[in-house]
Amino acid sequence: MSKGVFMGLFRRADDHQWSQLHLSHYADGDLSARARRRLERHAEGCVDCGRGIRAMRALLRLIPAIEGREIVRAPAGIFDRVRSGGAGDADDGGGAPAEGT
Amino acid sequence: MSQAAGPGGAGVLETEAALVARARAGDVDAFEQLAGAHADRLFALLVRLLGDRAEAEDVAQEVMLRAWRGISGFHGHSLFFTWLYRIAVNEANRSLDKSARRPAYTSIEAAAVQLPAAAREEPARRLEQTELREALSRALVRLPPDYRIAVVLHDVEGLSAPQAAEVAGCGEAAFKSRLHQARLRIRAAIGDDALINAGS
Repeated sequence: MSKGVFMGLFRRADDHQWSQLHLSHYADGDLSARARRRLERHAEGCVDCGRGIRAMRALLRLIPAIEGREIVRAPAGIFDRVRSGGAGDADDGGGAPAEGT
Repeated sequence: MSQAAGPGGAGVLETEAALVARARAGDVDAFEQLAGAHADRLFALLVRLLGDRAEAEDVAQEVMLRAWRGISGFHGHSLFFTWLYRIAVNEANRSLDKSARRPAYTSIEAAAVQLPAAAREEPARRLEQTELREALSRALVRLPPDYRIAVVLHDVEGLSAPQAAEVAGCGEAAFKSRLHQARLRIRAAIGDDALINAGS
């Protein structure tokens, strides 16, 4: 195997691994132009990565459509402890966060 | 104050500021009105993070109590809902810690193992919407808590990356890293064919 062929295979394997790890970035438009071109160039000749792009895009459509569709109502007693002044609660180290931290 | 609108919407900001001022002065009715506007979505967030409605009810009460006790420390530098959500995320994490119920998130492949048999064998044709919903829920609950929080805040709740990072208590770059890793794990758990078929 010539050095050129070997390097080509190595680069392809490297591109494949890199592309698989960046499918979510790509679907979000969260890649630089250069990185996006690298992934697209690889995916043109890679069945797995082409399918991966379609799957990731589908996932981003499905998550809000499936997980976000249920209407959830807060329980009626959500302010009960506020009204009772937190009687009986132990101070276990929690608390409201400072802003900007 | 941040420009982005949260669940309450940009149009309520002035009213919200007035309610914050009254709540900071000790007006519990104002606090209920202020926090009550976000109660449904906050409760939904807790149900998704904890995966248990009864536990979410308990934690939601605790969140409101801590917010009430801490309202004097809220100065409006961030949106009220991001501050409230941050308390909710902290309390959800504390609850998961206390109950030692952190899922076996190191083996996300287990979610795939528990997919319906039909889904594994013929995902493109057999995975129904209900099964997909169950598979997605299982995959979510098996994520490391930080990853699950990222997906729920950004992809389900629709918060922007900066808002979600603020709620999660981390930087935006770290938040995005968690989000992308989480999605890759969910994709691996459900499978490309099932996702493409369901999403087409």
